[in-house]
Amino acid sequence: MGAVEIELKDVRKVYHKDRIEIPVLEGLNLTVNAGEFVVLMGPSGSGKSTLLHLIGGLDSPTSGSVRVGDAHLERMTERELTSWRSRHVGFIFQMYHLVPVLTAAQNVELPLLLFRMSAAERRKRVATALDVVGLTDRMDHRPNQLSGGQEQRVAIARAIVTDPQLILADEPTGDLDAETSEEILNLLNVLNSPKFGKTILMVTHDPRAASHGKRQLHLDKGSLYSDVAVGPRIPAVAASFN
Amino acid sequence: MTITYVLMQNLKRNPLRSMLTAAAFALPMAVFVAAISLVVVLVKVAAHNEQELRLGVRQKTSLTNLLPEGMRRKIEALDPDRRHLRAVCGMRWFGGRVPDTQNTLTSLAADADTFPVVYSDVGMTPEDAAKWSADRTACVVGTGPAELYGWKAGDRVTLESTVPPYLALEFRIVKIMTNTERSNVFYFRRDYLEESYQAMGFASSRCNIFWVKCSTAEGLRTMQTQIDQAFANSPEETKSEDENAFAASFMQAGGDIPGLMRTMAIVVVCIIALVAGNTMMMSFRERIRELAVFKAIGFQSGRIFTIVLAESAILALIGSLAGVLPTAALLTLIPLRGLRMGPISTVEVSPVAVVVSIVIALMVGLAAGVWPAYQAMRLRSVDALRKIA
Repeated sequence: MGAVEIELKDVRKVYHKDRIEIPVLEGLNLTVNAGEFVVLMGPSGSGKSTLLHLIGGLDSPTSGSVRVGDAHLERMTERELTSWRSRHVGFIFQMYHLVPVLTAAQNVELPLLLFRMSAAERRKRVATALDVVGLTDRMDHRPNQLSGGQEQRVAIARAIVTDPQLILADEPTGDLDAETSEEILNLLNVLNSPKFGKTILMVTHDPRAASHGKRQLHLDKGSLYSDVAVGPRIPAVAASFN
Repeated sequence: MTITYVLMQNLKRNPLRSMLTAAAFALPMAVFVAAISLVVVLVKVAAHNEQELRLGVRQKTSLTNLLPEGMRRKIEALDPDRRHLRAVCGMRWFGGRVPDTQNTLTSLAADADTFPVVYSDVGMTPEDAAKWSADRTACVVGTGPAELYGWKAGDRVTLESTVPPYLALEFRIVKIMTNTERSNVFYFRRDYLEESYQAMGFASSRCNIFWVKCSTAEGLRTMQTQIDQAFANSPEETKSEDENAFAASFMQAGGDIPGLMRTMAIVVVCIIALVAGNTMMMSFRERIRELAVFKAIGFQSGRIFTIVLAESAILALIGSLAGVLPTAALLTLIPLRGLRMGPISTVEVSPVAVVVSIVIALMVGLAAGVWPAYQAMRLRSVDALRKIA
């Protein structure tokens, strides 16, 4: 996959619960260009997380097509999707989901275990990823020895260690205080900057967090009802991560 | 870092639970290895017995119903040319114990003339046999009582019977039998017993059993049929059986111990499987989101299955090693003495028992991990992660 470009055509997603159909996305069309920082907003149940999961290959659409780069995700098997995710997508979750018995460096190293790579190369990549998120001095700490913000930074390092072009973040600041949230969002801005060039899609409820994106999509009842380009943002603290 | 390292670290996630689960494997497997060792010894004894070609002839109703001494001549007369039969040895249970002790020894009075032939596996040298023939008080003793009471060849020992007329007899040990199959037995001459009974006014001359030494396995079967036919419909109807069948029925008279052990082993294995299964399921549920993230970042379902299954297997392996190896070492250094199970008095752990126990524990661990591993394999990241939001 080269520079990522995302294209969703007539995407419909319906969940079934006890024979009841629950439509979540209704004929959604969307294009995201490489290098964009797109924020997905909307009330609970509006389909923003589902949209993120479809783009990340964690779920398949009921109908319609999802293309990310050259990959037509709706045509891929579960096995192919898993393999594709490992190479092309970095996930950041609200609750970090680090392995508590592993150190920060080992948590970051986890996705690299799926690749044929020497231990030295793995160590080098882990060091680089931790350097990007500013946690080199905490690499031997376990998650319970880190603050929430530091844990999320480790999770971000884990998401970028395989150097994916696409980063999907589901409420990455939902569990953090305002100050720490700002740090994390600035870090995402850095990853989106020309230096790293990552395409980022972020789900959030927080308008302040949303203001870090370049484009805001508002979903409601499974439909896209607003697509707003936001003015260029120069991260105030971004310089500290360079 | 490797996946194995991640697995091992995972076991440290809840050290108390991992330790208790390992202990749930360790303790039953320690018992299990001892039980299996006992079965291994029993199998060895059975194999030995089969080679010895001895036929036990007893009263059909019960071993406690005595047979007349004259029956020996009648049995011998069934094969005058000695085509199948080599010798007949009458035997009577004495039920003796060392004075001031509680343990009754398997003490048996045997025909002096034929005992060395019928029980050639006792391993009497010509000198031992000469002493046995020359001294009416001669006895041969297994290693079990010998080690328990510190006896050696040449010692004079006294046994008192636990049944009327409560005879107390003095014996001279001519040999300590070193073979496992006879390790718990005390043999002495029947003529000495009969004379002692007569001296107390008890006319006896009866036997609990006649052991018929045969030349071949086929000869044993022939003699078995002939003897039972010869005494059919007589006041002394007999039941002839080979030594293994006799040992099995004798041991089962006191409760089906091998059967009980087998049942116990199965129950123990099932309990461990349930305990381990429950633990693995709890462990899986606790980490459901973490496993979902593993899948999200690219771990294939098969690999997730292996990780969860291997974790269960490793726990079982650690637990079984912790239970089996110390037990094996302990029983090897300090063999279980004074056990009274048929002819067996000593159980030493065999390598077979160790390997079998570990393999069984491993299989139980794998079985316990299959369902959680399957659940983990089928886990959809999107479902598990949605629960978080």
